[in-house]
Amino acid sequence: MSQIKRIKVGVASCGLAAGAGEVMEALKRNAGTIPVVGVGCIGHCYAEPIVEVETDGGSVFYSSVKGSDDAAKEILALTDKGRFEIPKLRAEKEALYVTRLAGRIVPCDMEEYKANGGFEALKKAGAMKPSEVVDAIKQSGLRGRGGGGFPTGMKWSFLAAKQVPEKVLIMNADEGDPGAFMDRSMMESVPFQVLEGMLIGAYATGATKLFIYCRAEYPLAIKHLKIAIKAIQDAGLDKLPGREKALEIKIKEGAGAFVCGEETSMIASLEGKRGTPRFRPPFPTDSGWNGLPTAINNVETFANIAPILNMGADKFAAIGTEKSKGTKIFALAGDLRNPGLTEVPMGVTLAEIVYDIGGAERGSVKAVQTGGPSGGCIPAEKFDVKVDYDSLKELGAIMGSGGLIVIGNNRCMVETARYFLSFTHRESCGKCTFCRVGTMRMYETLERITAGNGTEEDIAFLEDLGPKIRKGALCGLGQTAPNPALSTIRYFRSEYEAHVRDKVCPSLVCPTLVDLQLDQSKCVKCRLCIKTCPASAISDGFVIDNASCLKCNSCLEVCPKKAIRRVPRGEGFNSNNQ
Amino acid sequence: MPDINFTIDGKPQTAAPGETILSVTRRMGLDIPTLCYNQKISRTTACFVCVVKDLKTGRFLPSCSACPTEGQQIDASSEEVVEMRRTALNLLLSEHTGDCEAPCTMACPAHASVEEYVRAGRKGDFLGALKIIKKRIPLPMSVGRVCPRFCEKDCRRNIDSKPVSINDFKRLSADLHYDSYMEDLPALNGKKVAIVGAGPAGFAAAYDLRLAGVECVLFDKQPEAGGMLRYGIPEFRLPKAILRRELDHFRKMGITWECGRELGKNLSLDELKSSYDAVILAVGSWKASSMRIEGDELAEMGIDWLGAIAEKNWNGCANPGKTLIVGGGNTAMDCTRTAIRLGGEATIVYRRTRNEMPAEAVEIEEAVEEGAKLQLLTAPVRLYRKENGKLSLVCQKMVLGEPDASGRRKPEPLPGSEFEMEADTVIAAIGQRTVAPAGVAATKRGDLEVSPETLLCTGTDNVFAAGDCVTGPKTVVESLASAHRTADAVLAFLDGRAYVPAPEFNVSRGHWSSLKKDDLVYLHEVSEAERVKPELIPLEERKTTFTEISPTIPAEKIMKEGERCIECSCTAKSDCKLKKYATLLGCDPKKYTGERPHGAPDTRHPVIIYDRMKCVRCGTCVKVCGEIINKHLLAPMNRGFKTVVGTAFNTGLPLSCKECGACIEECPVGALDWRIKD
Repeated sequence: MSQIKRIKVGVASCGLAAGAGEVMEALKRNAGTIPVVGVGCIGHCYAEPIVEVETDGGSVFYSSVKGSDDAAKEILALTDKGRFEIPKLRAEKEALYVTRLAGRIVPCDMEEYKANGGFEALKKAGAMKPSEVVDAIKQSGLRGRGGGGFPTGMKWSFLAAKQVPEKVLIMNADEGDPGAFMDRSMMESVPFQVLEGMLIGAYATGATKLFIYCRAEYPLAIKHLKIAIKAIQDAGLDKLPGREKALEIKIKEGAGAFVCGEETSMIASLEGKRGTPRFRPPFPTDSGWNGLPTAINNVETFANIAPILNMGADKFAAIGTEKSKGTKIFALAGDLRNPGLTEVPMGVTLAEIVYDIGGAERGSVKAVQTGGPSGGCIPAEKFDVKVDYDSLKELGAIMGSGGLIVIGNNRCMVETARYFLSFTHRESCGKCTFCRVGTMRMYETLERITAGNGTEEDIAFLEDLGPKIRKGALCGLGQTAPNPALSTIRYFRSEYEAHVRDKVCPSLVCPTLVDLQLDQSKCVKCRLCIKTCPASAISDGFVIDNASCLKCNSCLEVCPKKAIRRVPRGEGFNSNNQ
Repeated sequence: MPDINFTIDGKPQTAAPGETILSVTRRMGLDIPTLCYNQKISRTTACFVCVVKDLKTGRFLPSCSACPTEGQQIDASSEEVVEMRRTALNLLLSEHTGDCEAPCTMACPAHASVEEYVRAGRKGDFLGALKIIKKRIPLPMSVGRVCPRFCEKDCRRNIDSKPVSINDFKRLSADLHYDSYMEDLPALNGKKVAIVGAGPAGFAAAYDLRLAGVECVLFDKQPEAGGMLRYGIPEFRLPKAILRRELDHFRKMGITWECGRELGKNLSLDELKSSYDAVILAVGSWKASSMRIEGDELAEMGIDWLGAIAEKNWNGCANPGKTLIVGGGNTAMDCTRTAIRLGGEATIVYRRTRNEMPAEAVEIEEAVEEGAKLQLLTAPVRLYRKENGKLSLVCQKMVLGEPDASGRRKPEPLPGSEFEMEADTVIAAIGQRTVAPAGVAATKRGDLEVSPETLLCTGTDNVFAAGDCVTGPKTVVESLASAHRTADAVLAFLDGRAYVPAPEFNVSRGHWSSLKKDDLVYLHEVSEAERVKPELIPLEERKTTFTEISPTIPAEKIMKEGERCIECSCTAKSDCKLKKYATLLGCDPKKYTGERPHGAPDTRHPVIIYDRMKCVRCGTCVKVCGEIINKHLLAPMNRGFKTVVGTAFNTGLPLSCKECGACIEECPVGALDWRIKD
């Protein structure tokens, strides 16, 4: 039997949420002298908690591990039960360059990072002239991974060109899209890799102040970054070659405003002001934080830097498509079997991501929403699109930061649009008219439609106002806010029409347009539904009164016989009119 | 840095580095609308009403903040750009709650500045009030007595009390100062206009034209001027001595009139057309409608009957005896009350109920007080003279059915309910219509047909029309409104300009019936006293003489009455940029609907009010207080649609506010303002 060298437990936020804390405790209790360490996330969130057992014969993975002594003992015995193999199809499609170390090394252990090639890139960069580093990044074709896709090397060259004593480099870690968690995972799993990219950026651009703007909802990421920064400072790595002074590195915890992910809002927030955007130009590289030249890059962008220098810009540029180089990390969520993170080369098709990697069943998916609330939906029949910045834009969606929400056939597209607009209209900063009032009016219209009170004019209204908000809003939040509505109208107009013409929600989702019905022939009179119903809408005779039913689905979920189903409004019992 | 060359609307322009597109357009004399741009503070870039289009990139840019780039082509005026601005304004209007104008002013057909003259009256400045009134009501003596008070029906005091007695401000102001006040008259400009019909519409048109330097001559077929005021409205409602005093003023203004001149008899329209620059027909609606029943010819026609009595100056007229007046309008009431004063016994026959009567409620009430009987739900069927020489009106009982096109329930005959009413006199007062002069086109209804674009009578080159003969029989104040429009059109015609009606734009909190007291904004305490009541002359005198039924309410009471006024209109209506540009761009406050910001205005400060429902969230006040005054007392709070301007810990403006008024001065709308109106 192979000798166990070390046991690694995935204790990033996703693992902890699945119970990895208890798993780690149990393993520690039972492992004796075998070291048990916490690592980050390897991306297979659906399989958490994941335990990797390093043996002299290679690694063995276990998934969905229980936090019990028995389970720990089984793992220590390296049983076959619960072994986890990365699905073959997925492994073929993925290309782990940036996430190579994520979940495989102890996040805050600088030595382990170094042992795995860490800080080699910084060393390489230090041997080059700053302008050569910028050129290398330009040559790699790396584009900003935050969503905009602006060439990183170009942005750096703007900042590098400024001949002033103080310059600012900001890491945008304000990952705010619902369903996106790439950045969190990278910061939690490989904080040194992210910071190494930032140090190389500082060297290349001449930046003297490094700010990390991270949302306060990411305490573990912030903790790891703080430890890593301290280690970097202790090791003197913050004193770049040719510099007299060490870099100033600060973490700013964002208070949760979505718009602060927009660069001018973020700068305002960092200046201690209300986080609202301002008109550009001047661009931050001309006048940013407190008037200093400033560049802002996303976490994933910085995470790309060290791998690029390590593998060489040419090799990086060979990955991906003509205009979108390298890989992209996607956060898969929604109606699919294997949610989690995946890193794929630019240019794979959506079908490959959704079906081969995400494990969604073909035919069960209606669309995906890319780019979060700012993005658009892409219908299943367009899944053969190659994923890169430009082709997604052509379809009315955006690459965004990498959130990819799979929408199953059982979802209502109008409700989906309403949900995203409910998010954006609340997160509008309130400054410009088109966004503050326009998104509100769009949201209200979608509310009306999903409530069965919409008219044909409401659809026309959305199609008229939406493009105006796109053109008129001050910042990216407002400019992209209409996308979910416009793209769902574009691809799923019939669903909108069913809501307004027939007052029917074809997917039986919108609460006011459905009734709940209990099939007496299937019912076993267990009374679970009656006990569960928060509105006392189910009679002792097992009839659901839809006049008082909240459509909360509690009974439907609790019914052991699946005797309760959603039916179009009017088809269930209704004490008001029957 | 070198200057930047670019184009705006295809014209080459040069900008200094750092100069905004808006600044360049202002140099060009192009007025791009903007609410939030203010050169005293740093850029706010909030309202987006100033957008222009970069033709090369297709992007829309806020011109207040965007600086031109070399070779840029800016579209600042196309319909696409204007539509974006209009959309921004419409969106702002959809969250903007207030009243540009007070509802009374909006309700007045002539748009007299009601709130303003009531305020002047409250302060005891009745000459000032008269000056405001006369801008829109050139016949305040008459209108102050006979107006059905559209303004009062929409007064917000109806929510919790009775409306302010607005018309009595008019009557008193005119009684006190009408004779002594003379407008500044411009020199005559050589243009001459003939007006046929010396009634309210004719005089009002002449008034406007004279104030624009046009010489006017009125012609009237009656022996005396005044039209309906002289021959339609009885003495007890409008004493003719008062009317003569009123018309004398026009003579003092240099307006002349010739009576006894009738078109087709001793007056030729063709001659007027050729000897004057323009002609206005204001001949009224004098033809009484018949009952269309058998025996019609035995009935008196209401307006003619009143006219005959007026001609005799309410002197020595025969007692009509037992009188049946058919109809429920104001003319029917005038006939009824005249019949009573002549010693008659009057019964009003009306086919619906009292609620549906078109006459003013107060007129019906006073008629009943004076002894009129109401025979309701009764329709005449036949009229015949009995052998005893008396008239008999055969009637039918009616029941109310479904509402008709007018919204009133339609009367339907009750089969077999016929009965007879005996009378000495039967007066048909069921309506009037226009008789178009020969050679002038008429509409189907019989009124003069005018072009909506030019207000010219169809088929004529220089003949216009005003008053009842265009609108059909209406009230005096409505005829004034018509005359103002016609006078505007005539002035445009005389100047060779196209007639463009003054654009109307108004934001309203809504009709009082849809509002609660809490929905209103009170700048100050409003008197809770009861509405002032006119003191009517003794009933016996009312029944037997034609003395005016109530004397003018004295000044001290009217001043007190003024304290009941809420002063609903916006403090910023004269300098509101939102109103200005919304009017200019033809915006519609109802284009976008939805939730509006809630919350009562902040009235905690004794002299400054912040009304969040009017705020356009441009942030100007915040920056003015911070950047200019260096006090930083205001800040935006909340996010998204709920954004408001607030103060620290929401405790209102603190003592450190020195009431400098800078924020008020720069607020583009009326969200921040003084709590006192001038």
